[in-house]
Amino acid sequence: MDERDLIARVRAGDGAAERAFYDAHVDRIYRLAYRLAGDDELAREFTQDTFVRAFERLGTFRGEAKLSTWLHAIATSVALNGLRKVTRLRQRVVDLDDAAGVATGPRRAEPDLKTRLAQAIQGLPRGYRTVFVMHDVEGYTHEEIGASLGIETGTSKAQLSRARAKLRDALADFAGEWT
Amino acid sequence: MTDDRFDRLLREVAQDYHRPPTPPREEMWRAIVATRATRRQRRDVWRATLRWGVGIAAVLALGVAIGRFSAGRGGADSATSDRSSGLAYQLAAAQYLTRTEALLTGFRTETRAGEPAASQFAAQARDLLGTTRLMLDSPAAADVRLRALLEDLELVLAQIAQLPARGNPEDVQVITHALEQRSVLLRLRSASSPAPGLGRTQGAL
Repeated sequence: MDERDLIARVRAGDGAAERAFYDAHVDRIYRLAYRLAGDDELAREFTQDTFVRAFERLGTFRGEAKLSTWLHAIATSVALNGLRKVTRLRQRVVDLDDAAGVATGPRRAEPDLKTRLAQAIQGLPRGYRTVFVMHDVEGYTHEEIGASLGIETGTSKAQLSRARAKLRDALADFAGEWT
Repeated sequence: MTDDRFDRLLREVAQDYHRPPTPPREEMWRAIVATRATRRQRRDVWRATLRWGVGIAAVLALGVAIGRFSAGRGGADSATSDRSSGLAYQLAAAQYLTRTEALLTGFRTETRAGEPAASQFAAQARDLLGTTRLMLDSPAAADVRLRALLEDLELVLAQIAQLPARGNPEDVQVITHALEQRSVLLRLRSASSPAPGLGRTQGAL
């Protein structure tokens, strides 16, 4: 079944086609959601929301982009908006802890390279982090990233370059281990 | 170390960043099917509410027309009929905002009085949470101010809906802090209060 047939059948309410559409894309969408969220529950929520919205909006899909690109645009939008909400909620809890004068935990041991890298990635501005994760971790092309995030290909390349530069700075004291 | 070598090593090590497990395909599919079914039901309820509202608006408009006719007045104020046309949506939205305001005011009052904010609020919050999400999916959310308010309400109602029966004091504190920090009640009252000279449903909506 080619993409056009699949879309037509999903629009017509064919349950088997809906499932085929889901099976064709769910792994990649979930992987991306998990990479961005770092949490199984959130990744599931974002993946589910992506498909619920996709089924609702498939009637508006005009075929100007590939179906997977269109679906990834929904997925990144859902995940990034969801993460903003989660950040706001967590910030409120942090504010409350600060207001209550809650002490921070004990000082942790010096982290290893992987931990430091994870922290450095997490510390990147959201746009840089999204492009870095999509390109360097999940292997998306700049064209796919641009279409998914609604940015120019050049912007994607520039953000990746800045992300790598920031990571290099953040990991400078590990340089000896990498040579 | 060259930039290329650094980038290559970076890509290798970054593979461990938020490494995803095997996707829970079947569980997610079941959740998607259930969510879609729930949304279909909500849409039906929303349409029924709108039909009900439109019916009332039609009756009101008819009443206005009859009143004008029987009074024999010409050149009536066309603004009145414009207002009636938006009444269907406003009725539903005003009822929702009033109920939410009542719930949150009651919640805050009981919390301040030191009484346990218990599960009596959770059921109401769950009910209103559904309506909130419905409104977020509706044309009402096109209004930036109202959308921001609805998003805050969604968070607060979700927290209240998940309160355990005896109300965990820390959870309650988080909720009341969120209410105050975001001025939720103030904005809610502002959204649902009537403009001068208009009925309640003709407020900031």
